Amino acid sequence: MGEATLDCSGLACPQPVLKVKQVVDRGDVTCLRVIVDNGAARENVSRFLERSGYEVSVREQAGIFEVTGTREAGASICDAVTAPEEGRAQRKIAVLIGTDQMGTGDETLGRKLLLNFIGTLKELGPELWRVILLNGGVKLSVDESDGLPGLLELEKDGVTVLVCGTCLGHFQLLDRKRVGETTNMMDIVTALQLADKVISFT
Amino acid sequence: METLPLETDPNLLVGRETSDDAGVYRLSDEQALVQTIDFITPVVNDPYDFGRIAAANALSDVYAMGGHPLTAMNVVCFPVKSMDKAVLGEILRGGIETIHAAGAVLVGGHSVEDPEIKYGLSVTGLVHPNEVLTNAGVQVGDGLVLTKPLGTGILATAIKAGLVSKEAERRAIESMATLNRKAAETMAEFKVHACTDITGFGLFGHLLEMATGSRVSITVYTERVPLLPEVLDLVQMGLVPAGSFENRNYCAHQIEALRAIDPMLLDVLADAQTSGGLLIALPQEDAPSLVDALKSHSILDAALIGQATETGSGKILLA
Repeated sequence: MGEATLDCSGLACPQPVLKVKQVVDRGDVTCLRVIVDNGAARENVSRFLERSGYEVSVREQAGIFEVTGTREAGASICDAVTAPEEGRAQRKIAVLIGTDQMGTGDETLGRKLLLNFIGTLKELGPELWRVILLNGGVKLSVDESDGLPGLLELEKDGVTVLVCGTCLGHFQLLDRKRVGETTNMMDIVTALQLADKVISFT
Repeated sequence: METLPLETDPNLLVGRETSDDAGVYRLSDEQALVQTIDFITPVVNDPYDFGRIAAANALSDVYAMGGHPLTAMNVVCFPVKSMDKAVLGEILRGGIETIHAAGAVLVGGHSVEDPEIKYGLSVTGLVHPNEVLTNAGVQVGDGLVLTKPLGTGILATAIKAGLVSKEAERRAIESMATLNRKAAETMAEFKVHACTDITGFGLFGHLLEMATGSRVSITVYTERVPLLPEVLDLVQMGLVPAGSFENRNYCAHQIEALRAIDPMLLDVLADAQTSGGLLIALPQEDAPSLVDALKSHSILDAALIGQATETGSGKILLA
């Protein structure tokens, strides 16, 4: 088991990725910490590490990014070193809801199940990161919706609720939304990209 | 540039204010000058290929305005004291061959000592004053045709990193070294509303210039956009140049995805291009014939990639 730190500040793409590649190609590094000082290098190094089978977390301080890649979760010394106060780098779970009922068979039942699902989502704990509402799903976010209380509670717990603006517009519900941020597809795509795990039902 | 006063000469048909590809100055009712300059740092390792690419890149701006080039002058920065002059010879050989292929002549040039190599051309061409193509003429209902595949910025980064197959490298070099001459001549047979070439701002940036300048929104059929081989794979490996990320972030607030788009593809659509293709707006019903005509002239990657769908805000919608 090995760990390594690479300082790639001041380097332009593709240099940081090349330096990381050299280390990764050694094959024995399970924890690699890379310091970069620009957003492009941060994204590129994260992608390269992910593609090489590492789990990646990023910390930013004053424009300096520390990209940490770990393999073999749990066992590595690196975990302890990387985030002593925060515990292990947290996974991010995004939940995509593209309907106003769960499953098919019976509409009333489907509705009940969905409300139950939203109420139970908090059991995911702090890993639950974003809830994205699309198409019929946006109806959950409006006043007088029985889904509203559950979503408000999630939001209070720090979960970001994203509500598709195009969909609200389609159902003419733009001024009745009571929870979350009205968003566009770019945000949604980005959220799906950044999430470590996506739970989706449509 | 923004702090400089605007010119008011009535013969200046296209000046700085519309971020167009070249300046256009009317000489008579029949003729206008098209003038442009462009020089770049090496994007490939072989000096001859670099010369061809830099020249094609500079000449392209004249084609994008609907004109044809007459004369060119070399613009050269080269470390004369520390590097073999044969390298410079190869760059210039690639350049002059491309100038001749464009039907233009080399009339001179200027060079300065510089630790970093740069090469390009100052080009002068002609266009009929009534046939100037700017990026501001797109009309609702127009189809948008792109004549070269995207991804040269990512490929150039991967070439620098040595992480690309010989075949993909070859394709990228040939695409960049190909003049937009045939594409422009083919386009001239159609009633075209607007044209630009895809360069440093990527497809997104140049589409936005068109959309904003023409006050339309443009829908892009993302799956139809032609891509260089291996490019999506290279994005996933972390080989996106910084300028392409900047393009993506700069354009993001004017782009709306109508469905989930592969984020890797978004980076290619924003990728800064060297010597990219022409982006041509013409009535939708004529667009398939233009694509067919381009293909029959060996411009095999030509594709109808989008449509101006509504008037207004200058937005890009991704479908």
